[in-house]
Amino acid sequence: MNPAVPKRTVRPLGRLLMVLTCLGLLLLALFVHARIGAARQERENRLRRIAVAALGLTDLCVATEARYTRHPAVTDLVVPFMDHPGAIEHFPTGSFWAPPAAPGFNRGER
Amino acid sequence: MSVLARHLNILDHTLSSLWRRRLKNLSVLLVFAGVIFLIASFQLVTRALTETAEQALVAAPEITIQKMSAGRQVAVPLAYSEKLSGIFGIRRVVPRVWGYYFDEVSGANYTVLGLERDRMPASGQLDLVLDQGESPAPGRSGAALIGRSVQQGLERKGGSLLSLFRPDLSMVSFTVAGVFKEETDILTNDLIVLDIDDARDLFLVPEDVATDLCVYVANQREVPTIAKKIADALPDTRVVTRAQIRKTYQVVFGWRSGFASVCLLTALAAFVIFAWDKASGLSPEERREISILKLLGWETRDILAIRLWEGILVAGLAFVLGCTLAYIHVAFFGASLFRPVMVGWSVISPSLRLAPTVQLSQFLLIFCFSVLPYMAATVIPAWSCASVPAESALGGV
Repeated sequence: MNPAVPKRTVRPLGRLLMVLTCLGLLLLALFVHARIGAARQERENRLRRIAVAALGLTDLCVATEARYTRHPAVTDLVVPFMDHPGAIEHFPTGSFWAPPAAPGFNRGER
Repeated sequence: MSVLARHLNILDHTLSSLWRRRLKNLSVLLVFAGVIFLIASFQLVTRALTETAEQALVAAPEITIQKMSAGRQVAVPLAYSEKLSGIFGIRRVVPRVWGYYFDEVSGANYTVLGLERDRMPASGQLDLVLDQGESPAPGRSGAALIGRSVQQGLERKGGSLLSLFRPDLSMVSFTVAGVFKEETDILTNDLIVLDIDDARDLFLVPEDVATDLCVYVANQREVPTIAKKIADALPDTRVVTRAQIRKTYQVVFGWRSGFASVCLLTALAAFVIFAWDKASGLSPEERREISILKLLGWETRDILAIRLWEGILVAGLAFVLGCTLAYIHVAFFGASLFRPVMVGWSVISPSLRLAPTVQLSQFLLIFCFSVLPYMAATVIPAWSCASVPAESALGGV
């Protein structure tokens, strides 16, 4: 009778290496994606610069609900609170956008 | 036994030990990865937006002049541009009439911009950013260039003419001369670009005023000096330079915003719970395991090595997993989890086309604030347990 053949088992370290290899491959694919994305972004930035120059734009169009988050660069800091006396800022985007420092010459920044 | 072989064996033991308590360790890994995912996603999305603003707004007007009255912005008289004629270095002053138009049917807020396009830089290249149609001839009345959201609103209404209401509720219609490309959505999505006279007519703005003045300067180095001269010449105005506009976008997506603070506080709270749980001591089972290992001849440094590897594996895997998921979330799903906060109640929702820029410094910061303290919190209680005699540790169990 043949002695029982010992079953080959994978070391825990081997399993870990397999997981790490999979993660490494995923990260490599994402790195390639990031490089391709950067090249695409550069092309798009050229178009955006043309739009900004030709139209004299000053702000990004991310949120359109409130004028102080649609045009934060050229808005007044008081705008979120000027609807009525004692008004509080209530638009959700106000929580994502930090208030900019009061911009402009003649506003204490000279 | 070589150092490498010793550590490989310790690693094997550590993995087996982690696997024995897989439910607990997996939940720690997932929660930890979730916290890192939240912080990394916020970092990536704000970095991508800041980068886009930085790249695009490099072509913004060098100086923008707004008139202030009683703490509010009001229309600026065109006569102000004549007052600037004495300032050497100004190439030209271009008035703009712009404002917001609320579309009652769709509930959307559009930005209406009226300007003399032929006086703007790069006006000859405007057709490059149009997906359909072409830029109307300078001074041509009744033609509009519109963003994609405006076009979608128009299609829903089923008309080809863009009909808008003046403040006195009389209607004015424009033909759509062109639609901006999707690539410029982040700037033009809600825009309606008109001739300046059409915009005056729409908003009933008198002919002798404008919303603001764009000043173009011959020498870029002179911008701060010229801005100061303008501020002195027109004391009732706010003078915003391009550098200030770009600076605004470096801070608006910062950690000081409320949402970011919530993310940060959540992460901190989760982490404090972790650290407290770990630092408050080992479980009786873990103490027993350490004591048995010591009785079997393991040294204190071996036990510390086990705990160190445990910390590296759990925290390292959570870090890699969290950061990878954060990249996928921002790059492939457009940061959809943050979108409700980013756009709020906006009816118009531009496609952001975010391309996250992966910077080592960003991830290093997250690593230092998450992985390193976790490892410290893992090793210190193990050291205090492993340094006492095994018999006494086992006797207490």
